[in-house]
Amino acid sequence: MANNDAKSQPFTALIEEATSRAPENTPSWLAELNMQAAKRYAQVGWPHARAEYWKYTNLNKLAAGAFALGDPAALAAVPRERILPLDGPQLLLVNGAFRSDLSDISDLPDGLSLRNLAETTEQDRAILGALIEETISADGLPFAAVNTAVLTDVLILEFAPGIATERPVHVISLGGGDGAAFAPRLVIRAGDGAVVDVVESHVGTGGYFADVVTQVSVARDARLGHYKMQNETLDAFHIALTTTEVAEGAVYDSFVLSTGARMARNEIRGTITGGKAEYRINGAYMGNGEQHLDNTTFVDHAAAGSRSREIYKGVLAGASRGVFQGKILVRPDAQQSDGFQMNRAMLLSNKAEVDSKPELEIYADDVRCSHGATVGELEEEQLFYLQTRGIERNLARRLLVSAYIDEAIDEVQNPAVKEAFKQMAAYWLSENLTRNIR
Amino acid sequence: MFLLQIENLHATAGGQEVLRGIDLEIGPGEVHAIMGPNGSGKSTLSYVLSGREGYEVTEGSVTFQGKDLLDMEANERANEGVFLAFQYPVEIPGVAGMTFLKEAFNAKLRYSGEPEANAMEFLKMVREKAKALSMSDEMLRRPVNVGFSGGEKKRNEILQMAVLEPMLSVLDETDSGLDIDALKVVSDGINALRSPDRSMLLITHYQRLLNHIEPDYVHVLANGRIQCSGSKELALELEANGYSGFEGEAA
Repeated sequence: MANNDAKSQPFTALIEEATSRAPENTPSWLAELNMQAAKRYAQVGWPHARAEYWKYTNLNKLAAGAFALGDPAALAAVPRERILPLDGPQLLLVNGAFRSDLSDISDLPDGLSLRNLAETTEQDRAILGALIEETISADGLPFAAVNTAVLTDVLILEFAPGIATERPVHVISLGGGDGAAFAPRLVIRAGDGAVVDVVESHVGTGGYFADVVTQVSVARDARLGHYKMQNETLDAFHIALTTTEVAEGAVYDSFVLSTGARMARNEIRGTITGGKAEYRINGAYMGNGEQHLDNTTFVDHAAAGSRSREIYKGVLAGASRGVFQGKILVRPDAQQSDGFQMNRAMLLSNKAEVDSKPELEIYADDVRCSHGATVGELEEEQLFYLQTRGIERNLARRLLVSAYIDEAIDEVQNPAVKEAFKQMAAYWLSENLTRNIR
Repeated sequence: MFLLQIENLHATAGGQEVLRGIDLEIGPGEVHAIMGPNGSGKSTLSYVLSGREGYEVTEGSVTFQGKDLLDMEANERANEGVFLAFQYPVEIPGVAGMTFLKEAFNAKLRYSGEPEANAMEFLKMVREKAKALSMSDEMLRRPVNVGFSGGEKKRNEILQMAVLEPMLSVLDETDSGLDIDALKVVSDGINALRSPDRSMLLITHYQRLLNHIEPDYVHVLANGRIQCSGSKELALELEANGYSGFEGEAA
């Protein structure tokens, strides 16, 4: 995968722009971090066309785009109808930078410590730096390297041990403007026994490139609900990596609803480091037009006696394309692991396409792991049945697709967030399934 | 005036001519039974009337309350008052029975330009009708027909019919797969809907159903055509002698 001719790589100029900022504006540790990441990116390289890890997602259009660092001071209106409709505190990022002036932090839960770049601790910096080591792994993770090379701000959410939040903390990442590139960086840490929910909504205006990294850790016996609405404009690029570490007895409940962007990749990599943990990563993707929506997941069972469960469902209209790559690794010591993975897609047009690539890599002998993938279309018999009861064909189609997607959303454990996702899915259907498609 | 008038109806399915000139008139309040052997065109007739895709009418006409039924989409036919109770009711995963009934009921109201139903009143109305068919609230919460037994599915069809109150109900092999008790419940449900202005078309292979729902007229369908019509005694004759006398008469 390595491409030694670093100068020719996309985003090299962008990284140079970022790392040549006036030193007085950049703390030395950050300048060092940016530089390290830039070096890693030069080593890791841009994924070449045949890279297995990017086999189904062509990056040429992104590589061809002309991007400059987005202005964190840009003021843009939040497209409220595109974010998850939820009560509770809202933390706003504009082009990757935390904007306390635009955030609603009057009602943050007790026990949540919120830190931006200037407030980072030694430990925070170690966590940010640790990802650079991972980017040299077999799969490359070039975009995590780019994110770290250009980042100017971070948002750390640290939940104290034992606390419980009533309402989710909502992080809204707002991308602004054609040609803006930006790198939101979140760190979410749930302390021992904490029971908390964090929601991300990714929205924006224009044709920008969001290179998102979220680093999550769920400590012993904690429960983190982590939910993401990825709802960009149809001109935007969104490439996101979420890394997760889940300790003994912990529950990680994740859901990603991907409806936006010209091209989106939502990648989740998780390591289960203790027993009796529940690792739940579920999602839904809804595409239309020329959209390309990629969900890539990697679950590493590194400890015995834990469960992972993964259900993704997609609805693809127009000439949209969905990609699902899911890998489960069970290490030799991870006996009694229980892994389940399923991707189902419904194609609403004969130009839509989905690629599913499930992968199991199992080195322990006493495990239960299964995976499956299905592709289907709306059943004419069901449509006819609804029509014979007076229901218009278009409404019948919406009811059936909505039921299909809601079944995936039902995996969300937080009831308010589940309802919010269902509303967003229904909104998508009302916007996209109005014409008589067959 | 007739509620339904079928004239010289020819239809093909998969390129094969299945209906070869059907004439049938149903007046308000009448119950007609169409009996016939397998492959005679009984189910095709029900699908052509309800507007299923894949069936092509090549000749003839169907007039319902003075309107050209064949010119309408399936949902328009339903909203005009034609109801098909399926031989094999379709499972709709993820759509709760109550939601389904409400969507159907409101579609009908929308069609006739009326405001949508009050949710509480509608719920109460459906529960009462479900109770009469020995259907529990739990069945209404479950996705439509998913995991239902054969008898439960048929009861669900009759519940939909009771809620939508169609002018013409076409009941396709409604007795198939029912044990005696279920047949009684379903027939009682159907009989409760008989009225001087509502009509029914029972499509059945066996005479058994007609012991419970007494028809005004019985027609024998074979080779895509009505071969003979008569009173309910004709059904008993068929039960005794079978369809062999009709099947030989190819068109």
